[in-house]
Amino acid sequence: MESKVLKPVLAVYAGLFILFLYGPFIVLGILSFQQGPEGGPQFPIIEWSTYWYKHLFGLTPPSRIAPLPVGEALVRSLTLAFMTMVTSTVLGVMAAQAFRKRFRGAGLVFYLIVLGMMVPGVLTGLGTSLLANNVVGIERHWWSTAFVAHVVYTFPFAFLVMLAILNRFDGSVEEASWSLGVSPITTFRKVTFPLIFPGVLSAMLFAFTLSFDEFPRTLFASGRDQTLPLAIYGTFSVEIHPNIFAFGVMTTLFSFALLSVYGILMALSVRRAKKIAMQEDIS
Amino acid sequence: MKQSDPIFRLDGVTRRYGNLTALDSIDFTAEDNSYISLLGPSGSGKTSLLRVIAGFEAPDSGRIWFQGRDITDLPAHERGIGFVFQNFALFPHLTIFENVAFGLRNGAINPPEAEIIQRVKETIEMVGLTGLEDRNPDQISGGQKQRVALARSLVMQPKLVLLDEPLGALDANLRERMQTELRTIRERLDVTFLHVTGSETEALAMGDKVAVLDSGRIVQFGTPEEIYDAPIISDVALFLNRFNLFDGTLKDGVFHGAFGSVPVSGARANETDVYAIRYDRTQIFDTGSTDLPGPALPARYLASEYLGSSIVFLFETEDNKTVEVDHHLSLGEPRDLEVGRDYVLSWSPEQAIVFGKELAR
Amino acid sequence: MSAAGTNTKKTHSFQLLAPGVVWMILFLVAPIMMIVYVSFWTQTTFAINSTLTLDSWRNFFASEAYVGALWTTIRLWLIVLTLTFIVGYPAALYVGLLVKSKTVSTVLLVLCVIPFWTSFLIRVLAWRPMLGKEGAINIILQKIGLIDTPIEVLLFSELSVIIGMTQIYVVFMVGPIAFMLGRIDRNIIEAARDLGAGFGRIFWKIIFPLSLPGVVVGAIFVSVMVLGEFATSGALSGRKVNLLGNIIVTQVGSLKWAMASVVGVILTILLGIVVAGFLRIVDLKREI
Repeated sequence: MESKVLKPVLAVYAGLFILFLYGPFIVLGILSFQQGPEGGPQFPIIEWSTYWYKHLFGLTPPSRIAPLPVGEALVRSLTLAFMTMVTSTVLGVMAAQAFRKRFRGAGLVFYLIVLGMMVPGVLTGLGTSLLANNVVGIERHWWSTAFVAHVVYTFPFAFLVMLAILNRFDGSVEEASWSLGVSPITTFRKVTFPLIFPGVLSAMLFAFTLSFDEFPRTLFASGRDQTLPLAIYGTFSVEIHPNIFAFGVMTTLFSFALLSVYGILMALSVRRAKKIAMQEDIS
Repeated sequence: MKQSDPIFRLDGVTRRYGNLTALDSIDFTAEDNSYISLLGPSGSGKTSLLRVIAGFEAPDSGRIWFQGRDITDLPAHERGIGFVFQNFALFPHLTIFENVAFGLRNGAINPPEAEIIQRVKETIEMVGLTGLEDRNPDQISGGQKQRVALARSLVMQPKLVLLDEPLGALDANLRERMQTELRTIRERLDVTFLHVTGSETEALAMGDKVAVLDSGRIVQFGTPEEIYDAPIISDVALFLNRFNLFDGTLKDGVFHGAFGSVPVSGARANETDVYAIRYDRTQIFDTGSTDLPGPALPARYLASEYLGSSIVFLFETEDNKTVEVDHHLSLGEPRDLEVGRDYVLSWSPEQAIVFGKELAR
Repeated sequence: MSAAGTNTKKTHSFQLLAPGVVWMILFLVAPIMMIVYVSFWTQTTFAINSTLTLDSWRNFFASEAYVGALWTTIRLWLIVLTLTFIVGYPAALYVGLLVKSKTVSTVLLVLCVIPFWTSFLIRVLAWRPMLGKEGAINIILQKIGLIDTPIEVLLFSELSVIIGMTQIYVVFMVGPIAFMLGRIDRNIIEAARDLGAGFGRIFWKIIFPLSLPGVVVGAIFVSVMVLGEFATSGALSGRKVNLLGNIIVTQVGSLKWAMASVVGVILTILLGIVVAGFLRIVDLKREI
């Protein structure tokens, strides 16, 4: 009886909860169509326009509002995210592979790796810059100090994803390959890797997005040249304009494009297998 | 290599998992070009033995010799020993053709493409899978998977193939057919099969030689006939599932059991005193018969089971022990029995096998 | 042990692990050690040298602003942690347990995760037009007629920081709880219902205890992120709310490395206590 009351009540609650998560976005989306360049980042909408989107791409006549310095920052962020993705996925796959065998100190190593995602970015960022600045005496750059700090953060995620995948992996196909005279390295390339590829893809996706959006570590460790989150952070202190909202909408769309590519890649392999199976059934 | 040369030899091979000893100092020599069944109950260490020979696991001590070479420290992929898994372990992302071609393509030998295609085709034909080359492993039946797993190993032309309960995942009909096929295929190639199984029927039917494994030790090794006719200890007799076993005491050349006291001519060393008579050597007589060939065991008839070529009659003795009598139909029609009636079971004493703590001579 | 095969396998695992472990030691453990070390260095106006001193530590505990930041951090953490639990648990209960169809449940979870595909900073920023004096909430409340004059305390206050953080981090609470709830065998609940147990009893005796590991994992996630925060408080409080993280940022900005390190060490200790406390309740490795 109670469950009959409870379920609809909770359904309504879940709806409100989703609204709570999305509310700010809706507002942000609406305000990105504010009139420009006089319209501010608040209600009411003076007049609907796409001015701020044009402004973002430098298609508007020059005004007192400077365009967002996102061009180079975007390239840097993409490069950094790519470097981080490759490094942390390789490290993650290797470490998870090692964890398939029992070894002494496994618990310690596990927590050492997981620590990377547990320690707040402020601390990793501060520590890395202290080390670079005061001990090694090198300049900080997004491609050096920020990069290693990013990998410290994303490697644990890649590791955990791969650990979950490999836990469910049946090792007898690898043994079968060895018994056919195929070396462990070739076996990994030809058997293990193709079979765990969906997991690898997830690990890569995780690492890429985490790094692309990473802010606290980058703030301390990246030095002079800004990445995208730093460029956005820069606008916090000054007056904000609806161009940052338009930019938010754009990055969200970009994220969805990335997510779609991932989804398509994942679905393709599954669908191919199903298609062949169906043809077999017909014939 | 000559026919009788050993293909592989185990020299005091021991494997432990923590406190558990899976293989207890095994010495074993297998002849080339033969079919060897390795029979053992679950937990006897038979799979461990295969994995150690294959090189998936290293023994804690002892040496392994293959084709006259010490391969103990050689990794699995350099041993040239085939392995067929119970769960087949086909590569799910490759077609049947590519599964079979896998070792040729990715191994150290790397023959030319034309030869690969030639050899794969021949092997696929040999196991009767022609026409299925382009399918994926999830699109074929269990029996077909088994053949792919076999073909994948055989295409590498190994001298030794280890089969880990290869028929365990198949249903009964298919299992019998595959038994015959495995034997035929092996005979056509110059290769030794070491076939691990928990089924005594399978082991006796398939092996040129049968090794019986118990608690990490090979307790008996011989032809199926030797094992069948002369199990070396009572545990083997029990495991073969072909003997009525009676507990009792053996003293001064006389066995005292539920069927009275019988003089015995000889006994095999064993941990306990056991009297064994094969199901098909046990005969049925009416109560009060005087022309018994040997001891008399009163028993009540319970039921019969028709097995195609023979009928099994089940009896219960006074101390609630079930006794089986196997009547082969080639020996003539079985007699009619009345359920619930008492009969007398008997046998020729010289056909019994007696195991004893003391060796009566 | 003696056989070469086992040894090669050991070196094999070692080679696979070495790069990751070395990376973590060099770029995670060493930096944290460095923070501890530098917190005892001598700070002058423009430079820092490695003469060991307790000055920075004394300065920290002598300053009302710094110690205040410590208490603000703890207070905000407790409030946000409680709110994410209260707001998140019912949602997780619905998604993880009450929704019968796996597809609907997955769709709802994906809906919760989608916002993470927008830049964290823009998500924070999005609260400004929401909570401001002329923001969406004030406009709506005025339209309904609940209020006459806009509520100004909504933005640039501790409240706005709390609302912002709760929205951003609540999903980290919902996810693990929903996961644990999804793993509960429905037959147990059915059996309890057949025995005449009401929903309240079933919830407290079965559902909640079984979801507890999820709550703890979620609490660890939320705690770690809230305690290390500085961007949300910076963007939504108008510099009125100073957390330990904000102090680190300002100190580094003015090259006061020693003081930044002192705050870093305090933050590390605080985190260590919190995470260790939670880990006593649940073994993280087993849950994954």
